[in-house]
Amino acid sequence: MTTKTLKKPVARPVAPPKARSAARGRERFAYWLIAPALAFMVLVHLIPTAAGSFLSLLDLNTFTFQQLFGAPWAGLSNYDAILFDSANPLHSGFTNAASNTLFYTAVVVAGTLSGGLGIALLMNRAFPGQRVVRTLMLTPWVVPSFVVAVLWEFMWQRDAGIVNKVLVDYTGILGERPTWLLGENTMWAIIVPSIWRGIPFAMLIFLAGLQAIPRELHEAAALDGAGTWRRFRYITMPLLRPLLAIQLLFGVIYSAYQFTIPFVMLGSNPGPSADLMMTLVMRQSFSNNLFGYGAAVSTLLMLAMLVWVGIWYATFRRDFAEANA
Amino acid sequence: VSARRRWVDIGLTSFTYLVLLVMLAPVLWLVASSLQPNGNLANGEYDLLHPTLDAFGDMWRNIDFERYLANSIVICTGAAALATAFASSAGYALARFRFRGDKAYGVTVIGTQLIPGSLFLLPVFLGFVWLGQNTPIELLDTHVGLILVYTAFFTPLAIYFMRAFFQAIPRELEEAALVDGCTRFGAFVRVVIPNAAPGLLATFVYAFLFAWDELLFATALTEQDAETIPIGIRNFIGNYNEEYDQLMAAGVVSTIPVLIAFFATQRWLVKGLTAGAVKG
Repeated sequence: MTTKTLKKPVARPVAPPKARSAARGRERFAYWLIAPALAFMVLVHLIPTAAGSFLSLLDLNTFTFQQLFGAPWAGLSNYDAILFDSANPLHSGFTNAASNTLFYTAVVVAGTLSGGLGIALLMNRAFPGQRVVRTLMLTPWVVPSFVVAVLWEFMWQRDAGIVNKVLVDYTGILGERPTWLLGENTMWAIIVPSIWRGIPFAMLIFLAGLQAIPRELHEAAALDGAGTWRRFRYITMPLLRPLLAIQLLFGVIYSAYQFTIPFVMLGSNPGPSADLMMTLVMRQSFSNNLFGYGAAVSTLLMLAMLVWVGIWYATFRRDFAEANA
Repeated sequence: VSARRRWVDIGLTSFTYLVLLVMLAPVLWLVASSLQPNGNLANGEYDLLHPTLDAFGDMWRNIDFERYLANSIVICTGAAALATAFASSAGYALARFRFRGDKAYGVTVIGTQLIPGSLFLLPVFLGFVWLGQNTPIELLDTHVGLILVYTAFFTPLAIYFMRAFFQAIPRELEEAALVDGCTRFGAFVRVVIPNAAPGLLATFVYAFLFAWDELLFATALTEQDAETIPIGIRNFIGNYNEEYDQLMAAGVVSTIPVLIAFFATQRWLVKGLTAGAVKG
């Protein structure tokens, strides 16, 4: 443990000896409180992550797997192959999965947040059964992702699936039956259920935010002649901005790391139109035993998320500085 | 209230219920489909007046669902309980104490959420293999192995969850206990924890929901003995991929435990989920 080194005396206003030892006792107690969680974090998150980044520098594949961390040193050649070697099929697999993931993440996050905000606005008024409706509205979020994937795979069936029945047979919105689970539409086959499952949570957070806005603000603005849109634009949106920011931050990370829905719905190879970063990494690592390659792609994905956090922080830091002040 | 205003009100309420119906429709479809024979699912002609439970019995036998269900319950309960215990002590530290490194610790806890599972999955897998070969500790394909990994996963967000609950408890409670001669630990266990009981329950359910849905690590770290429900369903799709009645029945049975847990605790769970959000 690091408690010993952390307890080095630092310059502090001189306190009476008794108060000082009490403060030290409090600090020591706090270290004991975080110790179990910290130990797990170091053993399961931090050390393996460092080890994973190290593996990305090795030529670890079927033939060298027995050597583990002693596999031949590859330097940055895994990264070079992924990013720049256009003759390498792994390069095109990577760029394809990267652009799919970018598209998937953008559409899912935009759809989830706008859908969640829309429903929250709709529910932020007194109506009979409001509490029950709010609870029932959360149901899709409670349905596990693997069930969501199985259910929607069934609903997307070309002939017997309910989606095509509604779109073609009952309403006639589409003239002929689209194939959802093969080819280009597969991207939509994973996007729609992801948004459906994500909306309730976004709704819950936005609704809590809306209910925290003092009614007087809207009433005063209405007296001054501000219409619904102006009140939304100049009162509601600025106050919801921190909530939007937090959901944007975690929504992007969560979507970029989506694995369960494409994997369960479409299999370990979801096809070129729906292959995401995580399905690519898992397939190359565990089906094709290209562990070094998989580790390198994972590392790049983590770096991409760090860049995203940087962009996010630069954009929204002022919102949180104000909230804390 | 003007007549026009009242009609707008009725319209908005009806629209709200319509949206609710659309959001629930896939879940209702899941239940309806699980109660039909497979032949009806294949041609899309449902006979809703004559439901049957056949698919549930078939699924229970063919998927060997009992085994996966038992594994999922043991693993998720164990992991959620450990994560709640660790998160309550660490969350208490972050809510009440200032210590050197507290900010850094808080940021690192959130930072773990940035790491893609695939990056540390392989080293964890290799570590389990190494332990199995060089020590008597068996973690690969065991309940304990998955419990330990899931505990680590769901502790970070649970810490923030618990912190919000502890911040809502007045400090005076512990101070009074300290004056009465309790140790700090005694005050935490005997005074603070009982007052945070709804928070503990909500955190437990929250961790349980996420563990129930975990597939990535379960794929790599189990082979047979410790396989959880998502793995069982994935295997079943691989073997019998046209048996949708059984898949829908399996989906219903997999959802019921988490749905019950959620509805039983939603009051506190919703509070925990939104508390952090609203305070910023």
